[in-house]
Amino acid sequence: MMGVSNDIGDELIAFLPNMRRFALSLARAPDIADDLVQQACERALANAASFEPGTRFDAWMFRIIRNLWIDRTRRQKTAGPSEDVHERHDLVGEDGQKVVDARQALSSVKDALDTMPGEQREIIMLVCVDDLSYKEAAEVLGVPIGTVMSRLARARKRLAELTGISPAPGRSSSATEANP
Amino acid sequence: MNEPMTFDDATLMAFADGELDEATATAVERAMEADDALMMRVAEFTEMRAATRDAFTPPEPVPPALEAAVHGMVERHRASQAQPASNVVSLAKARTKRLGFAQRSWQLPLAASLVIALGAGFIAYQLGQTPGTAPEGSDIAGFSSAEIDGVLDNAASGEEIAIADGAGRVRLISSFNDQSGALCREYEVDRSASASVVAVSCRQAGEWAMRFAVAAPAGGDGYAPASSLDALEAYLGAIEAGPALTAEEERAALDEATR
Repeated sequence: MMGVSNDIGDELIAFLPNMRRFALSLARAPDIADDLVQQACERALANAASFEPGTRFDAWMFRIIRNLWIDRTRRQKTAGPSEDVHERHDLVGEDGQKVVDARQALSSVKDALDTMPGEQREIIMLVCVDDLSYKEAAEVLGVPIGTVMSRLARARKRLAELTGISPAPGRSSSATEANP
Repeated sequence: MNEPMTFDDATLMAFADGELDEATATAVERAMEADDALMMRVAEFTEMRAATRDAFTPPEPVPPALEAAVHGMVERHRASQAQPASNVVSLAKARTKRLGFAQRSWQLPLAASLVIALGAGFIAYQLGQTPGTAPEGSDIAGFSSAEIDGVLDNAASGEEIAIADGAGRVRLISSFNDQSGALCREYEVDRSASASVVAVSCRQAGEWAMRFAVAAPAGGDGYAPASSLDALEAYLGAIEAGPALTAEEERAALDEATR
Protein backbone atom coordinates (compact mmCIF):
# COMPACT_ATOMS: atom_id res chain seq x y z
CA MET A 1 0.00 0.00 0.00
CA MET A 2 2.91 2.30 0.66
CA GLY A 3 5.52 1.55 -1.92
CA VAL A 4 6.59 4.46 -4.01
CA SER A 5 4.97 7.15 -1.92
CA ASN A 6 7.76 7.56 0.56
CA ASP A 7 10.58 7.19 -1.88
CA ILE A 8 12.42 10.46 -1.74
CA GLY A 9 15.36 9.38 -3.88
CA ASP A 10 14.36 11.35 -6.95
CA GLU A 11 13.87 14.51 -4.97
CA LEU A 12 17.19 14.07 -3.24
CA ILE A 13 18.93 13.93 -6.56
CA ALA A 14 16.94 16.77 -8.07
CA PHE A 15 17.72 19.07 -5.17
CA LEU A 16 21.40 18.19 -4.89
CA PRO A 17 22.63 21.46 -6.44
CA ASN A 18 20.40 23.51 -4.15
CA MET A 19 21.38 21.53 -1.07
CA ARG A 20 25.01 21.94 -1.90
CA ARG A 21 24.59 25.65 -2.48
CA PHE A 22 23.04 26.02 0.96
CA ALA A 23 25.68 23.82 2.59
CA LEU A 24 28.40 25.89 0.92
CA SER A 25 26.93 29.06 2.34
CA LEU A 26 27.13 27.58 5.82
CA ALA A 27 30.48 25.84 5.65
CA ARG A 28 32.23 28.04 3.07
CA ALA A 29 34.48 25.10 2.24
CA PRO A 30 33.53 22.79 -0.62
CA ASP A 31 34.77 19.56 0.94
CA ILE A 32 32.87 20.16 4.15
CA ALA A 33 29.78 21.20 2.23
CA ASP A 34 29.92 17.97 0.24
CA ASP A 35 30.21 15.92 3.42
CA LEU A 36 27.26 17.75 4.92
CA VAL A 37 25.13 17.10 1.87
CA GLN A 38 26.05 13.45 1.79
CA GLN A 39 25.32 12.96 5.47
CA ALA A 40 22.06 14.83 5.09
CA CYS A 41 21.00 12.55 2.25
CA GLU A 42 21.75 9.50 4.34
CA ARG A 43 19.79 10.86 7.21
CA ALA A 44 16.91 11.83 4.95
CA LEU A 45 16.72 8.35 3.45
CA ALA A 46 16.72 6.81 6.91
CA ASN A 47 14.05 9.21 8.11
CA ALA A 48 11.98 9.50 4.94
CA ALA A 49 8.83 8.75 6.93
CA SER A 50 9.20 11.91 8.95
CA PHE A 51 8.95 14.12 5.90
CA GLU A 52 5.51 15.72 5.83
CA PRO A 53 4.00 15.45 2.38
CA GLY A 54 2.70 18.78 1.19
CA THR A 55 5.58 20.68 2.75
CA ARG A 56 8.62 21.78 0.85
CA PHE A 57 11.15 19.04 0.41
CA ASP A 58 14.07 21.43 0.06
CA ALA A 59 13.13 23.18 3.31
CA TRP A 60 13.19 19.83 5.08
CA MET A 61 16.64 19.07 3.67
CA PHE A 62 17.94 22.51 4.60
CA ARG A 63 16.90 21.87 8.17
CA ILE A 64 18.76 18.55 8.21
CA ILE A 65 21.86 20.10 6.64
CA ARG A 66 21.79 22.95 9.10
CA ASN A 67 21.45 20.62 12.08
CA LEU A 68 24.40 18.58 10.88
CA TRP A 69 26.39 21.77 10.48
CA ILE A 70 25.52 22.95 13.98
CA ASP A 71 26.48 19.57 15.33
CA ARG A 72 29.77 19.82 13.54
CA THR A 73 30.58 23.34 14.68
CA ARG A 74 29.82 22.35 18.27
CA ARG A 75 32.37 19.61 17.99
CA GLN A 76 34.91 22.00 16.59
CA LYS A 77 34.16 24.65 19.16
CA THR A 78 34.83 22.21 21.97
CA ALA A 79 37.83 20.95 20.07
CA GLY A 80 39.32 24.40 20.00
CA PRO A 81 40.52 26.28 16.98
CA SER A 82 41.41 23.31 14.87
CA GLU A 83 40.64 24.18 11.30
CA ASP A 84 39.14 27.48 10.48
CA VAL A 85 38.43 26.68 6.92
CA HIS A 86 37.46 29.69 4.99
CA GLU A 87 38.07 28.95 1.38
CA ARG A 88 36.37 31.10 -1.12
CA HIS A 89 34.29 29.22 -3.57
CA ASP A 90 34.85 30.96 -6.81
CA LEU A 91 32.41 31.53 -9.53
CA VAL A 92 32.30 28.55 -11.76
CA GLY A 93 30.39 29.42 -14.86
CA GLU A 94 32.74 30.45 -17.59
CA ASP A 95 29.93 31.27 -19.93
CA GLY A 96 31.52 34.28 -21.53
CA GLN A 97 28.12 35.81 -22.11
CA LYS A 98 28.15 38.10 -19.15
CA VAL A 99 29.87 41.40 -19.32
CA VAL A 100 32.94 41.71 -17.21
CA ASP A 101 31.66 44.19 -14.69
CA ALA A 102 28.39 42.33 -14.34
CA ARG A 103 30.42 39.33 -13.24
CA GLN A 104 32.30 41.41 -10.78
CA ALA A 105 29.08 42.64 -9.28
CA LEU A 106 27.88 39.08 -8.93
CA SER A 107 30.99 37.85 -7.27
CA SER A 108 30.93 40.83 -4.98
CA VAL A 109 27.56 39.75 -3.59
CA LYS A 110 29.11 36.40 -2.83
CA ASP A 111 32.20 37.97 -1.36
CA ALA A 112 30.16 40.34 0.76
CA LEU A 113 27.98 37.52 2.02
CA ASP A 114 31.07 35.52 2.91
CA THR A 115 32.12 38.24 5.32
CA MET A 116 28.78 38.34 7.07
CA PRO A 117 27.85 36.31 10.15
CA GLY A 118 26.46 32.82 9.54
CA GLU A 119 23.14 33.85 10.99
CA GLN A 120 22.72 36.44 8.24
CA ARG A 121 24.12 34.25 5.47
CA GLU A 122 21.71 31.44 6.07
CA ILE A 123 18.60 33.60 6.20
CA ILE A 124 19.58 35.37 2.98
CA MET A 125 20.13 32.06 1.24
CA LEU A 126 16.86 30.56 2.43
CA VAL A 127 14.62 33.48 1.50
CA CYS A 128 16.34 35.42 -1.26
CA VAL A 129 17.99 32.55 -3.10
CA ASP A 130 15.82 29.51 -2.39
CA ASP A 131 12.57 31.46 -2.14
CA LEU A 132 11.36 30.04 1.14
CA SER A 133 8.52 31.97 2.73
CA TYR A 134 9.22 33.62 6.07
CA LYS A 135 7.23 30.87 7.72
CA GLU A 136 9.20 28.12 6.01
CA ALA A 137 12.47 29.82 6.88
CA ALA A 138 11.33 30.14 10.49
CA GLU A 139 10.74 26.40 10.59
CA VAL A 140 14.13 25.60 9.13
CA LEU A 141 15.86 27.88 11.64
CA GLY A 142 13.65 27.06 14.60
CA VAL A 143 12.94 30.72 15.37
CA PRO A 144 9.77 32.85 15.34
CA ILE A 145 8.74 34.65 12.14
CA GLY A 146 9.43 37.99 13.78
CA THR A 147 13.04 36.95 14.25
CA VAL A 148 13.26 35.91 10.62
CA MET A 149 11.99 39.31 9.55
CA SER A 150 14.27 41.43 11.70
CA ARG A 151 17.30 39.27 10.92
CA LEU A 152 16.61 39.22 7.21
CA ALA A 153 15.99 42.98 7.03
CA ARG A 154 19.27 43.61 8.84
CA ALA A 155 21.13 41.18 6.60
CA ARG A 156 19.78 42.73 3.41
CA LYS A 157 20.66 46.24 4.52
CA ARG A 158 24.12 45.07 5.45
CA LEU A 159 24.56 43.41 2.10
CA ALA A 160 23.44 46.60 0.35
CA GLU A 161 26.03 48.57 2.30
CA LEU A 162 28.81 46.12 1.54
CA THR A 163 28.12 45.80 -2.15
CA GLY A 164 27.06 49.38 -2.76
CA ILE A 165 24.13 48.05 -4.71
CA SER A 166 21.28 50.52 -4.55
CA PRO A 167 18.00 50.66 -6.35
CA ALA A 168 17.95 52.39 -9.68
CA PRO A 169 15.40 55.19 -9.61
CA GLY A 170 12.21 54.25 -11.31
CA ARG A 171 12.32 50.60 -10.48
CA SER A 172 9.55 50.81 -7.97
CA SER A 173 7.24 48.72 -10.13
CA SER A 174 9.11 45.58 -9.16
CA ALA A 175 8.08 46.13 -5.58
CA THR A 176 4.42 46.16 -6.35
CA GLU A 177 4.60 43.25 -8.68
CA ALA A 178 6.04 41.10 -5.91
CA ASN A 179 2.94 41.81 -3.94
CA PRO A 180 -0.11 39.84 -4.96
CA MET B 1 -6.19 58.87 9.01
CA ASN B 2 -4.23 61.62 7.41
CA GLU B 3 -1.28 61.33 9.71
CA PRO B 4 1.86 60.21 7.91
CA MET B 5 2.47 56.57 8.67
CA THR B 6 5.87 55.26 9.53
CA PHE B 7 7.02 51.79 8.64
CA ASP B 8 9.98 49.90 9.96
CA ASP B 9 12.47 48.08 7.76
CA ALA B 10 11.00 44.67 8.44
CA THR B 11 7.56 45.82 7.30
CA LEU B 12 8.89 47.41 4.14
CA MET B 13 10.91 44.32 3.39
CA ALA B 14 7.87 42.12 3.93
CA PHE B 15 6.02 44.35 1.50
CA ALA B 16 8.78 43.92 -1.07
CA ASP B 17 8.63 40.16 -0.53
CA GLY B 18 4.86 39.97 -0.81
CA GLU B 19 4.58 38.74 2.76
CA LEU B 20 2.36 41.46 4.23
CA ASP B 21 -1.28 41.06 5.05
CA GLU B 22 -3.57 42.91 2.70
CA ALA B 23 -4.45 45.78 4.99
CA THR B 24 -0.86 46.65 5.80
CA ALA B 25 0.20 46.17 2.19
CA THR B 26 -2.44 48.63 1.09
CA ALA B 27 -1.27 51.12 3.69
CA VAL B 28 2.34 50.81 2.52
CA GLU B 29 1.31 51.15 -1.08
CA ARG B 30 -0.63 54.28 -0.36
CA ALA B 31 2.18 55.81 1.66
CA MET B 32 4.66 55.06 -1.12
CA GLU B 33 2.66 57.00 -3.64
CA ALA B 34 3.39 60.19 -1.79
CA ASP B 35 6.81 59.35 -0.44
CA ASP B 36 9.73 58.72 -2.76
CA ALA B 37 12.11 57.97 0.05
CA LEU B 38 9.82 55.25 1.26
CA MET B 39 9.62 53.85 -2.22
CA MET B 40 13.39 53.75 -2.43
CA ARG B 41 13.62 51.89 0.84
CA VAL B 42 11.26 49.24 -0.49
CA ALA B 43 13.12 49.12 -3.78
CA GLU B 44 16.38 48.49 -1.99
CA PHE B 45 15.00 45.33 -0.46
CA THR B 46 13.69 44.19 -3.81
CA GLU B 47 16.99 44.99 -5.45
CA MET B 48 19.07 43.10 -2.89
CA ARG B 49 16.93 40.05 -3.22
CA ALA B 50 17.27 40.07 -7.00
CA ALA B 51 21.03 40.68 -6.85
CA THR B 52 21.54 37.84 -4.41
CA ARG B 53 19.42 35.49 -6.39
CA ASP B 54 21.32 36.33 -9.55
CA ALA B 55 24.65 35.81 -7.84
CA PHE B 56 23.75 32.26 -6.81
CA THR B 57 21.71 31.16 -9.81
CA PRO B 58 22.19 28.69 -11.28
CA PRO B 59 23.82 26.71 -8.49
CA GLU B 60 27.32 25.47 -9.08
CA PRO B 61 27.54 22.03 -10.66
CA VAL B 62 27.60 19.21 -8.15
CA PRO B 63 30.94 17.40 -8.04
CA PRO B 64 30.64 14.02 -9.75
CA ALA B 65 31.87 12.20 -6.63
CA LEU B 66 29.05 13.61 -4.54
CA GLU B 67 26.49 12.97 -7.21
CA ALA B 68 27.66 9.37 -7.57
CA ALA B 69 27.64 8.83 -3.82
CA VAL B 70 24.06 10.02 -3.49
CA HIS B 71 22.94 8.02 -6.50
CA GLY B 72 24.47 4.91 -4.99
CA MET B 73 22.86 5.64 -1.66
CA VAL B 74 19.45 5.99 -3.26
CA GLU B 75 19.88 2.77 -5.24
CA ARG B 76 20.87 0.83 -2.16
CA HIS B 77 18.02 2.33 -0.24
CA ARG B 78 15.57 1.24 -2.92
CA ALA B 79 17.04 -2.24 -3.01
CA SER B 80 16.74 -2.58 0.74
CA GLN B 81 13.16 -1.31 0.71
CA ALA B 82 12.28 -4.00 -1.79
CA GLN B 83 13.36 -6.69 0.63
CA PRO B 84 11.66 -7.58 3.88
CA ALA B 85 12.96 -5.39 6.65
CA SER B 86 15.51 -6.97 8.86
CA ASN B 87 15.60 -6.29 12.54
CA VAL B 88 19.27 -6.90 12.69
CA VAL B 89 21.32 -3.81 12.22
CA SER B 90 24.41 -4.51 10.26
CA LEU B 91 26.97 -1.92 11.07
CA ALA B 92 29.24 -3.33 8.44
CA LYS B 93 26.57 -2.82 5.83
CA ALA B 94 25.74 0.64 7.03
CA ARG B 95 29.40 1.45 6.90
CA THR B 96 29.80 0.16 3.39
CA LYS B 97 27.25 2.70 2.34
CA ARG B 98 29.75 5.36 3.18
CA LEU B 99 32.63 3.88 1.29
CA GLY B 100 33.79 5.49 -1.83
CA PHE B 101 33.14 9.15 -1.58
CA ALA B 102 33.00 9.31 2.19
CA GLN B 103 36.18 7.38 2.55
CA ARG B 104 38.15 10.44 1.76
CA SER B 105 37.26 12.07 5.02
CA TRP B 106 36.84 8.98 7.11
CA GLN B 107 39.77 7.07 5.93
CA LEU B 108 40.92 5.60 9.21
CA PRO B 109 39.95 1.96 9.32
CA LEU B 110 37.47 0.95 11.95
CA ALA B 111 39.96 -1.44 13.32
CA ALA B 112 40.46 -3.26 16.54
CA SER B 113 40.71 0.01 18.38
CA LEU B 114 36.97 0.39 18.17
CA VAL B 115 34.59 -1.45 20.34
CA ILE B 116 31.11 -1.19 19.01
CA ALA B 117 28.06 -2.38 20.79
CA LEU B 118 24.46 -2.15 19.82
CA GLY B 119 21.16 -3.23 21.18
CA ALA B 120 19.32 -3.34 24.43
CA GLY B 121 20.95 -2.79 27.75
CA PHE B 122 23.99 -0.80 28.48
CA ILE B 123 27.53 -1.53 27.71
CA ALA B 124 30.40 -0.94 29.96
CA TYR B 125 33.70 0.38 28.80
CA GLN B 126 36.91 0.90 30.49
CA LEU B 127 39.56 2.48 28.48
CA GLY B 128 43.08 1.33 28.89
CA GLN B 129 42.01 -1.88 30.49
CA THR B 130 43.45 -5.21 29.60
CA PRO B 131 41.28 -6.78 26.94
CA GLY B 132 39.10 -9.43 28.45
CA THR B 133 38.71 -7.80 31.80
CA ALA B 134 35.00 -7.60 32.23
CA PRO B 135 34.11 -4.16 33.46
CA GLU B 136 31.86 -4.01 36.46
CA GLY B 137 28.71 -1.98 36.58
CA SER B 138 27.65 0.72 34.20
CA ASP B 139 30.85 2.65 34.10
CA ILE B 140 32.03 4.50 31.09
CA ALA B 141 35.69 5.13 30.60
CA GLY B 142 36.03 4.20 34.25
CA PHE B 143 33.73 6.96 35.45
CA SER B 144 30.62 6.38 37.45
CA SER B 145 27.55 6.30 35.29
CA ALA B 146 25.60 8.08 38.01
CA GLU B 147 27.80 11.10 37.64
CA ILE B 148 27.55 11.04 33.87
CA ASP B 149 23.77 10.61 34.08
CA GLY B 150 23.67 13.73 36.20
CA VAL B 151 25.47 15.61 33.46
CA LEU B 152 23.09 14.21 30.84
CA ASP B 153 20.13 15.41 32.93
CA ASN B 154 21.26 18.98 33.03
CA ALA B 155 23.95 20.12 30.64
CA ALA B 156 23.06 21.70 27.31
CA SER B 157 24.60 20.57 24.05
CA GLY B 158 27.78 22.44 23.38
CA GLU B 159 28.76 22.37 27.05
CA GLU B 160 31.77 20.58 28.43
CA ILE B 161 31.54 19.42 32.04
CA ALA B 162 34.37 18.21 34.25
CA ILE B 163 33.67 15.00 36.15
CA ALA B 164 35.40 12.91 38.80
CA ASP B 165 37.04 15.95 40.31
CA GLY B 166 38.50 16.97 37.02
CA ALA B 167 39.89 13.58 36.05
CA GLY B 168 37.54 13.43 33.11
CA ARG B 169 35.32 15.53 30.93
CA VAL B 170 31.94 15.06 29.31
CA ARG B 171 31.19 17.00 26.15
CA LEU B 172 27.55 17.20 25.14
CA ILE B 173 27.22 17.09 21.37
CA SER B 174 23.52 16.99 20.57
CA SER B 175 20.09 15.78 21.56
CA PHE B 176 17.55 14.11 19.31
CA ASN B 177 14.68 11.64 19.33
CA ASP B 178 15.07 8.09 18.12
CA GLN B 179 12.40 6.39 16.00
CA SER B 180 10.36 5.51 19.09
CA GLY B 181 10.41 9.14 20.20
CA ALA B 182 12.76 8.54 23.13
CA LEU B 183 15.04 11.42 24.01
CA CYS B 184 18.66 10.59 23.22
CA ARG B 185 21.89 12.45 23.82
CA GLU B 186 25.13 12.13 21.99
CA TYR B 187 28.23 12.93 24.00
CA GLU B 188 31.91 12.27 24.38
CA VAL B 189 33.74 11.27 27.52
CA ASP B 190 37.47 11.74 27.97
CA ARG B 191 39.62 10.24 30.60
CA SER B 192 42.82 11.84 29.54
CA ALA B 193 44.33 13.25 26.43
CA SER B 194 44.87 9.75 25.20
CA ALA B 195 41.44 8.24 24.97
CA SER B 196 37.86 9.15 24.49
CA VAL B 197 34.48 7.51 24.20
CA VAL B 198 31.72 8.62 21.88
CA ALA B 199 28.38 7.53 23.28
CA VAL B 200 24.65 7.78 22.85
CA SER B 201 22.29 7.37 25.80
CA CYS B 202 18.52 7.44 25.63
CA ARG B 203 15.79 7.81 28.22
CA GLN B 204 14.29 4.47 29.04
CA ALA B 205 12.00 3.73 31.97
CA GLY B 206 12.89 7.00 33.63
CA GLU B 207 16.63 6.75 33.40
CA TRP B 208 19.48 7.05 30.94
CA ALA B 209 20.38 3.86 29.16
CA MET B 210 23.53 3.77 27.13
CA ARG B 211 22.70 2.52 23.67
CA PHE B 212 25.92 2.99 21.81
CA ALA B 213 29.51 3.62 22.59
CA VAL B 214 32.70 3.67 20.64
CA ALA B 215 35.95 3.72 22.47
CA ALA B 216 38.66 5.23 20.42
CA PRO B 217 42.17 6.40 20.96
CA ALA B 218 42.08 10.09 20.43
CA GLY B 219 44.09 12.03 17.95
CA GLY B 220 46.25 13.40 20.73
CA ASP B 221 44.07 16.30 21.74
CA GLY B 222 41.48 14.23 23.48
CA TYR B 223 39.06 14.09 20.60
CA ALA B 224 37.61 11.04 19.01
CA PRO B 225 38.97 10.55 15.51
CA ALA B 226 36.68 10.76 12.55
CA SER B 227 36.56 7.00 12.12
CA SER B 228 34.54 6.60 15.28
CA LEU B 229 32.17 9.27 14.08
CA ASP B 230 31.63 7.12 11.04
CA ALA B 231 30.35 4.30 13.22
CA LEU B 232 28.25 6.79 15.10
CA GLU B 233 26.68 8.07 11.89
CA ALA B 234 25.87 4.53 10.89
CA TYR B 235 24.28 3.94 14.25
CA LEU B 236 22.25 7.15 14.12
CA GLY B 237 21.00 6.14 10.71
CA ALA B 238 20.06 2.71 12.02
CA ILE B 239 17.94 4.05 14.86
CA GLU B 240 16.44 6.67 12.57
CA ALA B 241 17.69 9.48 14.72
CA GLY B 242 15.64 12.61 14.17
CA PRO B 243 17.23 16.00 13.53
CA ALA B 244 19.17 17.56 16.38
CA LEU B 245 16.92 19.43 18.77
CA THR B 246 17.34 23.17 19.01
CA ALA B 247 18.56 24.58 22.31
CA GLU B 248 14.99 25.42 23.36
CA GLU B 249 13.62 22.04 22.33
CA GLU B 250 16.44 20.33 24.17
CA ARG B 251 15.82 22.26 27.36
CA ALA B 252 12.12 21.46 27.24
CA ALA B 253 12.79 17.78 26.53
CA LEU B 254 15.30 17.51 29.37
CA ASP B 255 12.92 19.20 31.81
CA GLU B 256 10.18 16.87 30.74
CA ALA B 257 12.35 13.76 30.94
CA THR B 258 13.91 14.45 34.29
CA ARG B 259 10.92 15.96 36.01
